[in-house]
Amino acid sequence: MNTTALTPGKHVVVTDFDGGEGILVDLNTKKYYQLNETAMAVWKALEQGKSVGEIANDMTANYEVALDNATRSVERILDNFQTYKLLTAR
Amino acid sequence: MPVDAVVVDGRPGLTWMNMSGIELKEPFFQQTVDRVREQEPWRDAGLFTEFDALLQLDQLLARVEPAGFIFHSSRCGSTLVANGCRALDNAIVLSEANAIEKLLARFITDGGDPVKESLYSVLLRAVVNALAHRGRDDVRVFVKFSPCGISQLERIRRIWPDVPWVFLYRDPVETIVSNMTTVPAWLLDEDHRILAHITGTTPADVAEMSLEERCARSIGNFFATAHSLANDNSLLLNYNQLSLTSILDFFNVSPSAEELDRIASGSRIYSKEVAGVREFVPDAEVKQKSASDRVRQLAQQFAMGPYNLLEHGEGL
Repeated sequence: MNTTALTPGKHVVVTDFDGGEGILVDLNTKKYYQLNETAMAVWKALEQGKSVGEIANDMTANYEVALDNATRSVERILDNFQTYKLLTAR
Repeated sequence: MPVDAVVVDGRPGLTWMNMSGIELKEPFFQQTVDRVREQEPWRDAGLFTEFDALLQLDQLLARVEPAGFIFHSSRCGSTLVANGCRALDNAIVLSEANAIEKLLARFITDGGDPVKESLYSVLLRAVVNALAHRGRDDVRVFVKFSPCGISQLERIRRIWPDVPWVFLYRDPVETIVSNMTTVPAWLLDEDHRILAHITGTTPADVAEMSLEERCARSIGNFFATAHSLANDNSLLLNYNQLSLTSILDFFNVSPSAEELDRIASGSRIYSKEVAGVREFVPDAEVKQKSASDRVRQLAQQFAMGPYNLLEHGEGL
């Protein structure tokens, strides 16, 4: 998956909380989502236009995790974001 | 400004009023709202939004870190302290504002759901931020919570870990007598869920309790919570040792001579008086003498132990 084609939706408001976690609000559905620290890091990276590879590399730099595991985590989180229609194409 | 947290057609959210240029000069926030509604009804357009509007607004506002929190166990000088803070230049006091208090209550009524807990924490931070923005950058913001607020101290500290907080308390007999003379809304607690949580009982139990017992159990819990959560960032102060200057000093505020004059003249006035003309009269002795045996027994049974912990660091 190439995240450069995806970006956080304009219909989504994100608020950080508690030193790394976050709350997302989908303004279209009025649904709220709680993001853990990892998902929040992915969301912020998406806001900066980073690719899956770049986000996974960031994770390996910040956490003790192998690159392939980090990549799978990022892809899983992105799948969730897409399932809930929180991302839009650039 | 968000002036209340309400549910409209099953949708939880906030009501808003145009409070631009309005000074929050009354002892309680809702008194200011009532005054504005009466004098300038055009400011209340009945605007209701769901909470997402608050979070959108929060994105646009710089984050305001409160200068201090005021917790109390009811009828123990907290309004006097709030008025003292209000007398400072460039200070606002959010005193028991409905929007804040009702969000705090939701931690109890919707408790046990971690997503909701995080959401309410974010909303609470945002509502304080929205209330604190008064068009200036140099405002010192103090938040005074209702007595039940201390029961949510852990959550509040999680949101604002660095904000200093004071807890004001008073002899339990005097506190109960005062609350029986004029029964406050927190003690009536419509569906009893809040008091059940605070007293560790059930809403049915609370419904069966006399008001004296509800009060004794509640303030005992307030004392115990404040004692157990006190840290380097807290000041626990008895009504009989109340000192505005020491509290302001604790809040890192050094009042000017003019500010001290205003605080001194304000402290001679009965603190809850909106008009600011009824003079304050010390009443501890009167309250002690008028306490019934039942009040003394309830105070002893439910509040004296935690009170002594605050006073002496040990239960008796």
